[in-house]
Amino acid sequence: MAAISVHQFAPCITCHAWSPDKSMVAFCPNNNEVHIYKLFEDKWEKVHTLQKHDQIISGIDWSTRTNRIVTASQDRNSYVWNLEGSEWVPTLVILRLNRAALCVQWSPKENKFAVGSGAKTVCVCYYEQENNWWVSKLIRKRHDSSVTSVSWHPNNILLATTSTDGKCRVFSTLIKGVDSKESNGSTSSYSKFGELIIQLDLSLSWAFGVKWSPSGNTLAYVGHNSMIYFVDDVGPSPLAQNVACRDLPLRDVLFVSERMVIGVGFDCTPMVFAADDRGIWSFVRYLGEKKETSSGSKYGSQFSEAFGKFYGQSKHGMNNDSVESSKIRGGVHENCINCIMPLGECGTLIRRFSTSGLDGRVVIWDLEGQQDLLDYM
Amino acid sequence: MAGAEGFVEADNAEAIMIRIEHKTRKIESLLKQCKPVEALKTALEGTHAMTRDERCKSAHWIVVHRALMAIKDVDGMLSSLDPEYYDILMKYLYKGLATGDRPTCDQCLRIHEKLTEKAGFGCILRHLADTVNTV
Repeated sequence: MAAISVHQFAPCITCHAWSPDKSMVAFCPNNNEVHIYKLFEDKWEKVHTLQKHDQIISGIDWSTRTNRIVTASQDRNSYVWNLEGSEWVPTLVILRLNRAALCVQWSPKENKFAVGSGAKTVCVCYYEQENNWWVSKLIRKRHDSSVTSVSWHPNNILLATTSTDGKCRVFSTLIKGVDSKESNGSTSSYSKFGELIIQLDLSLSWAFGVKWSPSGNTLAYVGHNSMIYFVDDVGPSPLAQNVACRDLPLRDVLFVSERMVIGVGFDCTPMVFAADDRGIWSFVRYLGEKKETSSGSKYGSQFSEAFGKFYGQSKHGMNNDSVESSKIRGGVHENCINCIMPLGECGTLIRRFSTSGLDGRVVIWDLEGQQDLLDYM
Repeated sequence: MAGAEGFVEADNAEAIMIRIEHKTRKIESLLKQCKPVEALKTALEGTHAMTRDERCKSAHWIVVHRALMAIKDVDGMLSSLDPEYYDILMKYLYKGLATGDRPTCDQCLRIHEKLTEKAGFGCILRHLADTVNTV
């Protein structure tokens, strides 16, 4: 079985993140708090509650090396949390937004983080030593709609975003004094802050869940029209491919290797996509059993009830309320999965990852033992 | 830019209309030979429908409608139809359902059920999300 651990933490989880040593998980139970749980001998126990936001927290990221948590919330603010003694101390980051913050991610070097927002902007934040303050720099006027997801290129400069205007964009986030210090002047080859490197116009509807491959050569993102897009050689002459999903759309993706992607979403079951030797991407299979068991209807998803009624009425006239109410979802997740996080070493190969969703579960998956999939890794 | 596109489209429209007429004759003869599945395949082929010209769209719909209504064996039709046509067929089914005409709706709903079973929800999602390439 690919799912090695399933735990129900809350009625609903908006996002989650893991501590550097993966012993603790931080998640938002669909309110203004972050709960941190630690595993004590088979039992998850709550060790911290981070309370500072006023509204639902839409994004959490936990930095690996610096052990800092960044949260983004619909209250339009971000906090960076530092562990001092046994207390998590928040530092307010003024994002200067007039709409909700929707997603957040630390850059690979952890000296910057990016926040996507409903204000059609992306904030790139960095620490200013002199003022002991996180400064937010905005990329404005590029997005025509909310920014649903952000992803950092391994080079710490390029940032990919997806938006509900259907586009995926790549920006330069070069910040003087922050990026030049460490990279020995090699940054001169990059464009200046906020410059649009490329705009990908593949999706006809909302775009979600963008990720770079470990090398930064390939970009994957999903559209709400049940499509997943793969873009190789992101640069002047990109190579785009799309794969149509059979079922409901995806929400987020994760590269487990250069040639393999896990997609999660409204279908409640993770889907595996892989590239063959020629670099052609295709759907491989579902991870874990896809439950198609149903007593009253052929459709194994939460839509079955509505569909049953739809067809029932067409055949038997009206007043057909006898279609069996369907609690037939019986997979590992019982509702939309909206977050997927890698587990284990931040190398090029990820065997383990975790998913969380609207059903309030955090599930840990392991690809070890999935022989057919390991060939792609 | 939209204006320039419209101009090209208008220029093209006549050519497309001629192709649709040609298609209609082919479909009529296929239907006479009792090959409704072949007729539907012919109707769905090509991208004439993806024009922005309303006159072409409605002319093409008449052709597709003709072929759709002739289908008796839905399962047989779907099993011999290439998966690449599923998305476009779904678009026409919704167009049929939107007409409100009883026999058309009955037929489209019958095919819709089988097509959804075969092609999945993704097909419906792609129809709903695609506001650019309408039929």
